[in-house]
Amino acid sequence: MAAVTGTTLVEGATPPARRPRRGIRQFPVWRWAILVLVGSYFVIPLVAALRFTGFSTFPQVVHQEGFSAAFELSVRLAVITTVLTIALMLPTTVYVHLRLPRLRRLMEGVTILPIVIPPVVLIVGVLQVAPGFLKSTPYLLGLIYVVLAMPFAYRAFDAGLRALDLSTLVEAAQSLGAGWRSTLWRVMLPNLRTAMLSATVLTVALVLGEFTMASLDLYQTFPVWIVAFDQTSGPISVAASLLALFVTWVFLLAITMIGGRGSRRKGGAEVSLFSVSRQNTHPGGS
Amino acid sequence: MTTNAGQATGGHAGGTPGGASGATVVLRNLSRSFGTTRALDGLTLRLAPGELVALLGPSGCGKTTALRIVAGFETADSGTVEVDGQDMSPVPAAKRDMGMVFQSYSLFPNMSAADNVSFGLRMRRLSSAERQRRAAGLLDMVGLAAQAKQYPHQLSGGQQQRVALARALAIEPRVLLLDEPLSALDAKVRLQLREQIRSLQQRLGTTALFVTHDQEEALSMADRVGVMHDGRLEQIATPDELYDRPATPFVAEFVGVMNRIPAGLLELLGASGLAADLTPHRERPGSAVDVLVRPEGLRIAASPTGNGIVVGRTFLGQLTRVSVRLSGDVVVQVDQQSTEAAGIALGDPVDVSLAGAPVMVTER
Repeated sequence: MAAVTGTTLVEGATPPARRPRRGIRQFPVWRWAILVLVGSYFVIPLVAALRFTGFSTFPQVVHQEGFSAAFELSVRLAVITTVLTIALMLPTTVYVHLRLPRLRRLMEGVTILPIVIPPVVLIVGVLQVAPGFLKSTPYLLGLIYVVLAMPFAYRAFDAGLRALDLSTLVEAAQSLGAGWRSTLWRVMLPNLRTAMLSATVLTVALVLGEFTMASLDLYQTFPVWIVAFDQTSGPISVAASLLALFVTWVFLLAITMIGGRGSRRKGGAEVSLFSVSRQNTHPGGS
Repeated sequence: MTTNAGQATGGHAGGTPGGASGATVVLRNLSRSFGTTRALDGLTLRLAPGELVALLGPSGCGKTTALRIVAGFETADSGTVEVDGQDMSPVPAAKRDMGMVFQSYSLFPNMSAADNVSFGLRMRRLSSAERQRRAAGLLDMVGLAAQAKQYPHQLSGGQQQRVALARALAIEPRVLLLDEPLSALDAKVRLQLREQIRSLQQRLGTTALFVTHDQEEALSMADRVGVMHDGRLEQIATPDELYDRPATPFVAEFVGVMNRIPAGLLELLGASGLAADLTPHRERPGSAVDVLVRPEGLRIAASPTGNGIVVGRTFLGQLTRVSVRLSGDVVVQVDQQSTEAAGIALGDPVDVSLAGAPVMVTER
């Protein structure tokens, strides 16, 4: 076996070209105007609600009857729904991309159905087919939420997979001796981290804010509790709404920051909800 | 013989792999259809140990299908692939010990260059220290030791393909498969990497199958080139034999530049002595006969009573390719020393004649 000495033929790495940062001067006035206008639409109701309820009301919210149980139920449902959604949708989307790419359009159509079908129809349908032992538990809502989260989760995974040349990566892993388990664990999942994060963010946001299904199914999730408590105390109910908004926002920010940090360090794409930007690569060049 | 990485773990300077010689690969009567399209039609090919064979052909000729069947990513409808006498049909891709470099950048985005190179070694359960040692040696071999910790998005296209090459070689493959690995790169890098791949393949003695549609790449890198057309191997030969003695009109016209001249013009070109070569073709009723001549097989001389008019010229450095329109709107290309072609201008009448025997006589 002949020893091989090193041969250095080509020059070193070319650092990636940085995109010039846009300064304030490059941000035209009309864009500021639109930003302020749209921002006002969101901020004014929040400020009005804050003025109505006052800061002193916030500490009282957590001591109200039913708050803890409702909040805990919503968090539990968020966890269950997220786990089930990822466990079902990720393999399905990967399989469609790898083996049945012609069905992608059909999948897009099918996954949009939960948005098109009215909630009443959906819940009546679920109650018809759900097994009896589930009908008596709030976890039935978890299954319903999996259906509701499907359009968002599918699009997040689809966007993540489109940004990867999945079939080539899988074949490369296999040619190097990786079985399906290793390929999934070491190649696919790490590269779909951003997509999983997007799906998680969307699913959690959906579950923490969903009212109709929970109300129709007669379970007191956090949004249902807020509406119910509105009959007792307006200011506390509004404070709870603001608190829910803030907690959800902090929760999503934390998920995005924790998950996105590692991904960006390794050249992963930025987290966005329905699209994952393709990674920066240098075509051609040495 | 080449050992696989799981069995042989050292003994190479700098942790780089090496093989005493590559494996013998035999593709026997491979056929594959996709719907009604026959992608491969009875392909038979033998690669000697340490040989680099290029499969060359236009898009859709079946060359990539053949490579993917060898790699285990496709299944042949019939026929076998044997490596050192072992039928690979029941062996899954992950167990074939074949390193592959893909056309598109195929590095794992979540791993550094060194981790990419050592991925195959990890799958073979080599120790961490051994993996690092061998990855470092291979990256050094492809000139990327300084980029070991960089991620794919921080590397240029050429660097990524060199890491992919190091990754494929890290497992000490029995066969190295190259699926148009240079097609996404710019011309200068393509040339550098072409030389590097060939140099490493020769040093390591790895048997390699290279698929390309770029004839310059195939002719300059391969020990032998197989020209494919419609799923069949038209001819496999050394590059010079392929160029000088093509077996079929398709090979003659696909490899290099070729003039197709109707036999009726031969007298005009002062080649009436070729009559004997044309006779067997003319005996078939209704057949029109052409002769195939390379640009360097024709010569031109300025002549006011010449048989053609200059309609174009392309400077190629030492040579200039002159296009001449002959009788019947037939345009031929003639390679002329640039110093001699300097006095020939567009529209000039010239006399075109055969400099030697044509490459081939064929029916139209």
